[in-house]
Amino acid sequence: MRQLVSWLASAAVGFVRACVVLVVSMLVPAVWAAAAGLWMWWWGGDPWPGLAPLLWACVGTLALARPICRMVRAVVARWTGTVIPPGYRQAAPVVRMSTGYWWNGFSYERTSRDARRDQRMRLWWSDPATWRDLRFAVIAPFAMGVIAAVPPAGVVAAVVGFGHPAPSMRLIGALGVAVAVGAAPYAWRPVRPVAVRFLRPSPAMALADRVDELTAQRADTTVAQAAEIRRIERDLHDGAQARMVALGMSLATVEKLMETDPDRAKALLRDARAGATASLAELRDLVRGISPPVLTERGLVDAVRALALDSPLEAAVSADLRLRLDPPIESALYFGVAELLTNAAKHARATRAGISIARTSTGTGAGIVVDVADDGTGGAGVRAGGGLDGLRRRLAVFDGTLEITSPTGGPTRVRMVVPCESL
Amino acid sequence: MRIVVAEDLYLLRDGMVRLLEAYGHQVVATATTGPETLDVLLTQRPDVAVVDVRMPPTQSDEGLRAALDARRRLPGLPILILSQHVEQLYARELLADGTGGIGYFLKESVFDADQFVDALERVAGGGTAMDPAVIAKLLSSGSSNRRLERLTEREHDVLGLMAEGLSNQAVGQRLFLSESAISKHTTSIFGKLGITDDGNNNRRVLAVLTYLNNA
Repeated sequence: MRQLVSWLASAAVGFVRACVVLVVSMLVPAVWAAAAGLWMWWWGGDPWPGLAPLLWACVGTLALARPICRMVRAVVARWTGTVIPPGYRQAAPVVRMSTGYWWNGFSYERTSRDARRDQRMRLWWSDPATWRDLRFAVIAPFAMGVIAAVPPAGVVAAVVGFGHPAPSMRLIGALGVAVAVGAAPYAWRPVRPVAVRFLRPSPAMALADRVDELTAQRADTTVAQAAEIRRIERDLHDGAQARMVALGMSLATVEKLMETDPDRAKALLRDARAGATASLAELRDLVRGISPPVLTERGLVDAVRALALDSPLEAAVSADLRLRLDPPIESALYFGVAELLTNAAKHARATRAGISIARTSTGTGAGIVVDVADDGTGGAGVRAGGGLDGLRRRLAVFDGTLEITSPTGGPTRVRMVVPCESL
Repeated sequence: MRIVVAEDLYLLRDGMVRLLEAYGHQVVATATTGPETLDVLLTQRPDVAVVDVRMPPTQSDEGLRAALDARRRLPGLPILILSQHVEQLYARELLADGTGGIGYFLKESVFDADQFVDALERVAGGGTAMDPAVIAKLLSSGSSNRRLERLTEREHDVLGLMAEGLSNQAVGQRLFLSESAISKHTTSIFGKLGITDDGNNNRRVLAVLTYLNNA
């Protein structure tokens, strides 16, 4: 009994879904049928004025293609959980130039509205996704519309059949009911494979997306690198270099004072020594910020152990011992862990942290996964320009990802995954 | 003392040899690479060796590895490690065998030559000598923090200097306190931390470092 109920329920749901698929996929044929009807009925089959409805049908198809694809993607995602990336080209920001005109990436326009409209048209026209959508709108009626039409057709047959008193017609009606109920749970199902096959971004579109992504990353990296070099230059200039000059001056003075005032000379020498120690400490901090020596000497795992030992938290490290990583990836992950431990101690007021470093397999091959968990107050998130945003960008350079789980009240768990072929 | 110096940079090696000779010690051999260091340590068996961490051929931690290797084969061989940076991680590795005769310093500790040679002699005698920066890190690390919070501030200072390897007398001189005042502090510290003190300075320092290491 229960089985029967659940089967009927799925038939009912399937029937509704089949109807939705039928309506969506038949929009384009409906437009063409309307155009053909107008031509036959209005102009009586006269060829020349008949071009007008034909033109309307073409425009209608072009205009409907994208909404149809949107709807199909939406229903596939809703019914089956399969998310098909749309892959439309993203509009560049429309900016106002100093001349007062608006630049949309293609042309200058007098108003921002014109610029946006022009950009929309050009994007629409040049986007390979437009042609893919059009193709789908043409294929859809055959690939999924016909099958989705079976249950509604069965219902129509039933209504017509039972409306007539003749027994043969009643038989047709009964058959219609059987077909409608039997086909309902399955008739909508081709929508998923068809959509996946014809709606996913083509390799060319995927490449175009990738180029956009890489361009943005390259810009990020260049800016970050330049800023880093400027910081190092400033630190050296104001720190070690200045101290060396002071040291030289002290020594010159000592040379002069040696005979006339040995006591002052000695005091100066003591100062000079203190200055040299201080500049060494400064240089050490600077070096640690550029490339931590322990990372060069021991690699990621031991460097993270050293970090954990120096951290004010009770930090435990568990690691896969035989990891061979590319130095830039090691460096990015090391500074990532350093940042996360600092955040845990400073912002989340954590007392304990656990770090694990292990191999993993990503979508494209081998990779490394670093987990940092703390018992702090949580609430961490990526804010534009913040530390975690910077970390995300640094990892993105290697196609790495940053995943943060940090509910308010804690605990925080951050996972960094970087694909790495050398593993 | 018969000393071996292992350092790949000529300026620093030469300076170190001259400094040690100025203090009346004899530099019996020098080494410039990791494998050479190990070889010299094993053949010369010096009273004490001064070894740089980073050396050719890999420019990673060759010197440290050579030192650890040599001490595995000749337990207790006195070695003082010099480096441009200090890591708790390395300090823990050096102290792990618990035999003493170990020093670990920043290179600039040589600036105070008297103290440096003092430390070197302490290491040669089987004691330990740790850079204040190492001890500061050991004392402030996450787990130490909680275990040491029962100590008073003064006891904290005394523990730090003791962990550097100094005797009660030397600690007293640094803090401008009498030796007996320092003994009182150390007795209190050992009581609070549950370390047994048998009066032998080297063993006592090792006990403190082991305690901090296991923290």
